[in-house]
Amino acid sequence: MAHQAHAYHMVDPSPWPLTGAVAALLMTSGLAVWMHFHSTILMTLGLALLLLTMIQWWRDIIREGTFQGHHTPPVQKGLRFGMVLFITSEVFFFLGFFWAFYHASLAPTPELGGCWPPTGIFALDPFEVPLLNTAVLLASGVTVTWAHHSIMEGERKQAIQSLTLTILLGFYFTFLQAMEYYEAPFTIADGVYGATFFVATGFHGLHVIIGSSFLAICLLRQAQHHFTSEHHFGFEAAAWYWHFVDVVWLFLYVSIYWWGS
Amino acid sequence: MSLSPAALAARRVFAAASHSHQEGGARTWKILSFVLAIPGVAVCMANAYMKMQAHSHEPPEFVAYPHLRIRTKRFPWGDGNHSLFHNAHTNPLPGGYEDSHH
Repeated sequence: MAHQAHAYHMVDPSPWPLTGAVAALLMTSGLAVWMHFHSTILMTLGLALLLLTMIQWWRDIIREGTFQGHHTPPVQKGLRFGMVLFITSEVFFFLGFFWAFYHASLAPTPELGGCWPPTGIFALDPFEVPLLNTAVLLASGVTVTWAHHSIMEGERKQAIQSLTLTILLGFYFTFLQAMEYYEAPFTIADGVYGATFFVATGFHGLHVIIGSSFLAICLLRQAQHHFTSEHHFGFEAAAWYWHFVDVVWLFLYVSIYWWGS
Repeated sequence: MSLSPAALAARRVFAAASHSHQEGGARTWKILSFVLAIPGVAVCMANAYMKMQAHSHEPPEFVAYPHLRIRTKRFPWGDGNHSLFHNAHTNPLPGGYEDSHH
């Protein structure tokens, strides 16, 4: 029987990259079909397939790393690089929307009234709920750091408490943003102001939901003793992602909510 | 095999990241959470609540600006004329507010 003479992980064949690609195709074409032919079936199918792909792919990674020992230090290093590169790509994703915002707001066109916010737009007060949202995310950055140190020091109960607190703060942010979206006197269809506001903050909100979900999975795994004080990269990746989400919000807050008001 | 300075630096950062181990670090962040972070949120909650009570609940007068309430393409839901988070009280349609008391 052969044993590998290296520390790397030669992954077994898996169907999930293919199902993920099919899901991406169905979601994108489904979105176009919805816009033009008013049918949601393709997009819904794509979303369902995406969900199944994510659950099973990441379940397999947890099995390979936590239970089968494939995540040796060199393998972990590769995973770290991967997460860093992914977050970097997300930074560039948001950079585009910030570019659009600054393009429109630094030189507002005559059609808008030559001013920013445009004539007829009443911006939200940055020192009401948006400031609260900033405090909520900053606080969650503190609690997720508490969680990390707890895991590193083997403080199981504290790790569960702090992770739960972080997730609750994430939910509170999402709740507050949803309320703001409903109460806002402007909509996405209110010219370039509405478009830049809701697309930038909307994608950010989606990332908050993704980050909260990632942290929730970590909470479940912590409860099931997956993490050790030396090896808990899944949690670290979630924490990095969460800090990234927080930093994007800070830029959104300063640029769109505060400077743009 | 010699690595570039950048690769060497990256290796140091990753090594540090996977072996960081401070005594009492958890306690410090726990204290920060309950003394700074959570009270900060509470203060901002109070502030937001008080400010919201202070201003009027009347939405602004409707003016049919051509650069707002764009309907070049219908929304793909409902009657195609209402945004996803439409609020009849604060969001006028292209023709004006839907509420009867405007």
